[in-house]
Amino acid sequence: MNAIADQYAGQNIGSIFLYTHEAHPGENYPYLTSMEQKFRHAHDLRDVLGVTRPILVDALDGACHRAYGSMPNMTWIFARSGLIVYKSDWTDAHSVENAIQYFAQIPQRRKAGERLAPFHVERLDYRNQERDQFYKALERNGPKAVEEFRKAFPMG
Amino acid sequence: MTDLLTRYNYDSFMPEKFEPWMNFASSPKTGTIAPDFPLWNLDQVPTRLSEIWSQHDYTIVEFGSFT
Repeated sequence: MNAIADQYAGQNIGSIFLYTHEAHPGENYPYLTSMEQKFRHAHDLRDVLGVTRPILVDALDGACHRAYGSMPNMTWIFARSGLIVYKSDWTDAHSVENAIQYFAQIPQRRKAGERLAPFHVERLDYRNQERDQFYKALERNGPKAVEEFRKAFPMG
Repeated sequence: MTDLLTRYNYDSFMPEKFEPWMNFASSPKTGTIAPDFPLWNLDQVPTRLSEIWSQHDYTIVEFGSFT
């Protein structure tokens, strides 16, 4: 997702990371109890995990996150007017890039005189589950996070 | 409010604690104007989601956390 942000920044595409709540709290990154702690975790997202996009932090009660459906790692795309043009209940770089390639050429098409009218599309995309990488991330959170995920999803 | 903070910031990844929050099906629809909320940058300076999306033709917003 960082690479997509860099690649499309020159085409007037913005990209941010919105910090929500700890989906898999563990000994190293426990559940949030204060904004100070939330800012510390958000800093680590940048400094430890290498998120290079601007990181913005939601309120401690997750007001923004909850209004958008509270999924643990979702992606939305907004037009400059605030119009919602894409929403995905999971973040997948291929899906996001596919969408942004389409939207990035809308302003040029309008400038070229095309009269564009919106319509709705539903599509089922597929992501790589990357289980090894996921479990390594859980281990970074702490043994509790690994144990709880295995218990919640024994077949996972 | 305290109850909301505790439930939203659940202490354990257990279905009874995380599943109630997963409401994507009832989230705002494409083609509608997005709800706006206050946010803070890493320097704790306040901003709004609308300030972010109004800066570019399109803005990608990934929601998530360290964990």
